[in-house]
Amino acid sequence: MKVHVNLNVCQGHARCEDICPEVFGTDAVEGKCVIHQPDVPPELEDKARLAVRNCPEGALRISSR
Amino acid sequence: MTRAFFPAPPDHVPAELIHDFDFFSVPPGEGDPTEIWHDLVRSGVPSKFYTPRNGGHWVFLDYDDIVEAYRDYSIFSNHQASMPPMEHWPTLQPVGFDPPEHNVFRRLLAPMFTPKAVRDITDELRRRSAVLIDGFAAKGSCDFIPEYAEKFPTSSFLYLFGMPEERLDDFLTLANAFFRTSDPKVKGEAVNSIFAEIDAFFREKQKNPGNDIASTIVTARDADGNPHSWQDMLNCGFLLFVAGLDTVTNTMAYIWRHLATTPASRAYFRDRLDDPDGFLRAIEELMRINAVSNIVRRVKDDCEFRGVQLRRNDRVALPNTVANRDPRTFRDPETINLDREVNVHVTFGVGPHRCVGSHLAKREIMVSLQEWLKRIPDFELVPDQGQATAFGGSVMGFRSLKLQWPAG
Repeated sequence: MKVHVNLNVCQGHARCEDICPEVFGTDAVEGKCVIHQPDVPPELEDKARLAVRNCPEGALRISSR
Repeated sequence: MTRAFFPAPPDHVPAELIHDFDFFSVPPGEGDPTEIWHDLVRSGVPSKFYTPRNGGHWVFLDYDDIVEAYRDYSIFSNHQASMPPMEHWPTLQPVGFDPPEHNVFRRLLAPMFTPKAVRDITDELRRRSAVLIDGFAAKGSCDFIPEYAEKFPTSSFLYLFGMPEERLDDFLTLANAFFRTSDPKVKGEAVNSIFAEIDAFFREKQKNPGNDIASTIVTARDADGNPHSWQDMLNCGFLLFVAGLDTVTNTMAYIWRHLATTPASRAYFRDRLDDPDGFLRAIEELMRINAVSNIVRRVKDDCEFRGVQLRRNDRVALPNTVANRDPRTFRDPETINLDREVNVHVTFGVGPHRCVGSHLAKREIMVSLQEWLKRIPDFELVPDQGQATAFGGSVMGFRSLKLQWPAG
């Protein structure tokens, strides 16, 4: 499972970082999403999926590869 | 008050979309000002309706419409969007501008309010919270609003701004004059006093800059290497004052009111004092259910939006509390579910104007609740709350909330 962010849509809510900080973070300038691990390890898939579903902007996307 | 801004009702609004609703009024006996908005939904009014009150304006009630209005600044402008339309009101930086003008001060502020920046000041926020709570914990009672919910965000503001802590009482007086009056003259005087304070402080910071928000604003340079205009800087300082205090005060008021009346919620948070993830997830649910801000946008040009005709300069009210309980977006929306897993609330808005201080606000609330529960694990409402103190408008809340607990 892979995660992607559209930085034109991200507004820096950081809900992804709050929920799954292993995969998502935020930068120190705009506070927008930074993906630490685009290839999500199996043990973090559920958490990362929840983070994606909680983005109020719909800026995150999941793909299988 | 400019009641005659529109010869109401205007001819572009069909009669079936007109409904009499007052944005600012809370009926006597109504204990919770958000209920006037939920009553609207329950009454079955159209999800986009027009009220002739307060200069005339639209109200959107569906989550999807509210979110779209936040995002599409080509239709819904934040420039000169006060409601009712007001003259002589400063255009706050950056929130009073749409992109791309908005980007200049937004980029200036953003680094100071990132999650990392807020994490870095958590210890100082915690210290300030603890000092205030220690001041009344042994007494066994307090009026939560003046004794904590107003003091703590104001104290945090002074710290971030780089102002000495000894100025707290002066700024509480200014904030109270500004937020708690409906008299335009008193409010105008308070605005002038706040601007004068910021002006004097910015001049001092220009000479002796430090590591604080005021210094960052006065030493910043635009794309051509010049300082920003002095008025823009003051308008930005004023924004931080008006946007960061009353919103946090009243969100905390709602949250403590809920906790005082709900032992299971107090126990939930007490059980998670050592589980920041669980604590934060539950705070998101309290943020969803206690959205105190009603936001207004101004229509830029005549257009049709999702089946209604909008006219240039029409105001549109976006009640976050209603969006946050839309059953098409939230499962079982009326239930406060502290374990709620998917929670795309719009308490901080969405789109380019997403509240720049949202991480600070959540951190202030989280730290406050942790420090409070460590000292006051159980508390309740004083049975006689005295006169009703609920108020409505662009920020809804209470002027007083008397709490009691076993004295230590």
